[in-house]
Amino acid sequence: MALAAVPAALAARRLGPGRTAAVGLAVFAGAGLACAASASLSTLIAARCVQAIGGAAAVTASLELLPATVGGERRAAAVWAAAGATGAALGPAIGGILTDLVSWQSIFIVQVPAALVAAVPILAVARHEAATGIIEPELRRTGRPHLLANLALAMVSAAIAGALFLLVLLLIEGWRLSPIAAAAVVTVMPLASLAGARLVPLVADTKSRAAAGAILVSGGLGGLALLPKATILLTLPPQILVGVGLALVLGALTETALGGRAPQAIHGGWTISARHAGVVIGLLALTPVFTADIDQQRHDAINAGTAVILDSPVNPLLKIDLAQKVSDRMEEERGKVPTIGPAFEPLPDDEGERREVEQLRGELQDQLDRGATHAFSTSFLLAALIGLLALIPIGLARRVEL
Amino acid sequence: MSGPGGIREIRGGAFVVGALVLSLVLVGAYLAAGGSSYAPEKTQDPCKPRPWSNPRGLGEIANQFSTSALDGAACKLGVTRETLARALASPASRERFSRRYGIDDAKLSEAIRAGLLRAIDDAEEAGALSPLLAVPLRTTLRRIPLDQAIELVKDARSLLGNLGRYLGPAGGLLEGPAGGLLEGFLP
Repeated sequence: MALAAVPAALAARRLGPGRTAAVGLAVFAGAGLACAASASLSTLIAARCVQAIGGAAAVTASLELLPATVGGERRAAAVWAAAGATGAALGPAIGGILTDLVSWQSIFIVQVPAALVAAVPILAVARHEAATGIIEPELRRTGRPHLLANLALAMVSAAIAGALFLLVLLLIEGWRLSPIAAAAVVTVMPLASLAGARLVPLVADTKSRAAAGAILVSGGLGGLALLPKATILLTLPPQILVGVGLALVLGALTETALGGRAPQAIHGGWTISARHAGVVIGLLALTPVFTADIDQQRHDAINAGTAVILDSPVNPLLKIDLAQKVSDRMEEERGKVPTIGPAFEPLPDDEGERREVEQLRGELQDQLDRGATHAFSTSFLLAALIGLLALIPIGLARRVEL
Repeated sequence: MSGPGGIREIRGGAFVVGALVLSLVLVGAYLAAGGSSYAPEKTQDPCKPRPWSNPRGLGEIANQFSTSALDGAACKLGVTRETLARALASPASRERFSRRYGIDDAKLSEAIRAGLLRAIDDAEEAGALSPLLAVPLRTTLRRIPLDQAIELVKDARSLLGNLGRYLGPAGGLLEGPAGGLLEGFLP
């Protein structure tokens, strides 16, 4: 997507936005079917690449089509930016729900009717373009992209990718939530994003909106890095901050990048490219940090849990039996935070001993929760730092009125 | 200030300050609630002494004896007490441990015996074991096979409850009518 966005926008200028969007949506839908049918990771990746090209064509061309629908370029840029921000926040939640309720393939299958429905109104424009073939030559010239706004977009997108990717992983791999439960939890972010979009008309200055958004995203990520307990409730305030911040900063930076520049599709293409490059860079930077940390924390948590068992007053033979079962669970779930409950089954018949074992299970689980949560702290902090660093290009960018 | 459509606008600077305050409040609240220390508890260095906490009765003494023995053996091997405890749980876990840390049976045996000797020292120091029993126990433990030594680390009750059997001829003193002496040796 990062590589295809600008060439797709150029194609939209050359062939006409209606035709490009229609072809893009058709390619997107067809490649979506190929994704769902793919039997191996390599074919899935290949189909996703094709889908990205189709998606890039449809998204960038739509920016050229929007002014006629919403009444002006400024309004079109705002709607387009808001749609992008909402989509970024909604994606993981919808994906998680579909994966858990149906299958991972369903994520791609539902895209097909969605793309076809979107193509219906575009077909009339495409037919008109085919009949008239009017493309004004002066509009083919493109100005330079807004470097600072696009740089800030890339940095903020890296931070947001961290928030979404790491939080979903924390919930599923760390706290052992089902994908649907995790999806329900991260739904708070798009809901906050939708609420945050209502603040946009209240602040005319795009630079202030961008700065406030970047600060909120970083503040939310800072909160996620400092979770004082492994409780879903405590993820909600940081998610609200990230969601509101996301709506403010992505919208403001996209508006700034597009402001006063023509043609819109090309500059929209640059913003798409910057955002997706940011996501890729964010994941490349954060994944090794997080994987190294989770391995260390898992080890520390198991040791801390074993210490709890060894220092407990339960029967020594029962302790060793528990230590063995914990060891076996570690082997079975190598590389993951183990689910420790089965290691304590069956519970002893003796009432007093059962209470002691149940208490041990709780304490060991607490250590594992601590380890799993702490494993994500550095990555969340790093993502927060990237978000804060985006304030530098935001501060340097001159306000550009549309 | 009113914007287009009569919407009351917020000044950009105030908006940024508001975002900053919200972020700082959240981070500050989570820090105050212990967010920076929510991590697994650190395990103790096995080479450092672990004080016995007022042991009473065979069960408690056996518990602390096992802990001391594990500490001593783990210190000798350069691993944590917890890693060693999991390793000693079964032959399969012992084999995994040997492969991972490159520790053969001879080295493990030596470390386990060193651990048991440290446990006797600790028990003696804590007043949980009479010096009269500690001396012959040390001599006995230096000679016992690895599997038996591991069983003693796992459950020292078998050692402390059957001192007579472990001490050989000297253990005869604890049998029969003299068995009551054990009460004095194991408080």
